Amino acid sequence: CAHGHTGCHSPTLSDLFDRVIQHSARMHGLSSDLHSDFEQYFLPSRNQIGRINRKCHTAYILTPNGKENAQRLAREELTEVILKLLAAWRDPLSQFHRSMARHEDFTSISGNKALEMSDMVHQLKNGVEKVAEKMQLLGMISNSLMSLSSTEALAPHSASSEARSMSDYELLYCFRRDSNKVQNYLKILKCRIVAEHGC
Amino acid sequence: LISAVLDSDGLSPPGKPRLTSCRSPEKETFTCWWEPGSDGGLPTNYSLFYRKENSDTVYECPDYHTAGRNSCFFSKNDTSIWVNYNITVVATNALGSNFSDPVDVDVVYIVQPHTPENLTVVLEDEDNPFLVVRWEPPRMADTRSGWITLIYQLRVKLEKEEEWEEHFAGQQKQFNIFSLHSGEVYMVQVRCKPDHGFWSEWSATTYVKVPDYISRERSIWIL
Repeated sequence: CAHGHTGCHSPTLSDLFDRVIQHSARMHGLSSDLHSDFEQYFLPSRNQIGRINRKCHTAYILTPNGKENAQRLAREELTEVILKLLAAWRDPLSQFHRSMARHEDFTSISGNKALEMSDMVHQLKNGVEKVAEKMQLLGMISNSLMSLSSTEALAPHSASSEARSMSDYELLYCFRRDSNKVQNYLKILKCRIVAEHGC
Repeated sequence: LISAVLDSDGLSPPGKPRLTSCRSPEKETFTCWWEPGSDGGLPTNYSLFYRKENSDTVYECPDYHTAGRNSCFFSKNDTSIWVNYNITVVATNALGSNFSDPVDVDVVYIVQPHTPENLTVVLEDEDNPFLVVRWEPPRMADTRSGWITLIYQLRVKLEKEEEWEEHFAGQQKQFNIFSLHSGEVYMVQVRCKPDHGFWSEWSATTYVKVPDYISRERSIWIL
């Protein structure tokens, strides 16, 4: 869409936020579905459910665990937390998808949810980066964020190797939680920045 | 074994208590409730203990009073989300103790909001009437900050009928209802739910009388 075309508007910041929020909601929905499919398929004994004895590989990312904590974070910091979480899931999700593809009968039940999730986390990270650029352009956040946008800086190697040693169930459990965090933080950020559009 | 310690008076250690549910109305505080087992014929004390994910420290319930009998209330300061709480209730009397089965909860997934508020139903356009239903989110849920997002459902029923008709309103706080029966009374209720949680109770009913608009039209026809 070239500049100056009539009827051709670049999306507003509020539109961009709505898109990434919808995308994150779909991604979290997918992870929740897959999590419950997984519990039914792999863990017929309900007693084992919810017993996760190790930390998620994303535990090194400090995330606000309540409303007031989330609101206390500067916009830049909240954006950074979201981008860090998404970056930390890129490799583990493609590993998860490859591992799922081996369980043929499970894949037939759950379709390609694992593949979809792995694609979505990519797209969502790109989307949030676009939102961050726009916020910078509009002077709503400072430019200090840009230096952090390289994936290496966001996801240390130790975390990826930790993720490799986690079971599929643990990965899924952690992703369900992290994708919910991302969705929630995006909503908080949107309401702080474009509050007049109704939250 | 319990039978082995049965006192000659029929007194015994307490029965097993049961954690019945944990719910949060706004994703900022939560409450857990339990059902006592038998008290074994003796004064029995109940305590709730919890341990947070990735921590070995066991804490006792911070507040047994706020939410009434057989409950434990976790205030904002005691509530974290995206963290599992492993919760157990212990019943104790002079002859011994008994533990409930433990329950794992993450507050994100136990949200059940209060009912929506200020439900109003307004009849618009006397000649071709339709209902405009409006409501507000429950006061406690902070929907304005983006911390919690609620979706709404409403149900409508002719007063004389048995069956409710349900409508999904999404995140909207207004819903229009068309094709009304002339001269009838309608009942309207609304409820809400966060994206991953439980439906609230239905709100109190709002009644609205639809005027006898069809016979009025007919009378115009006859003229």
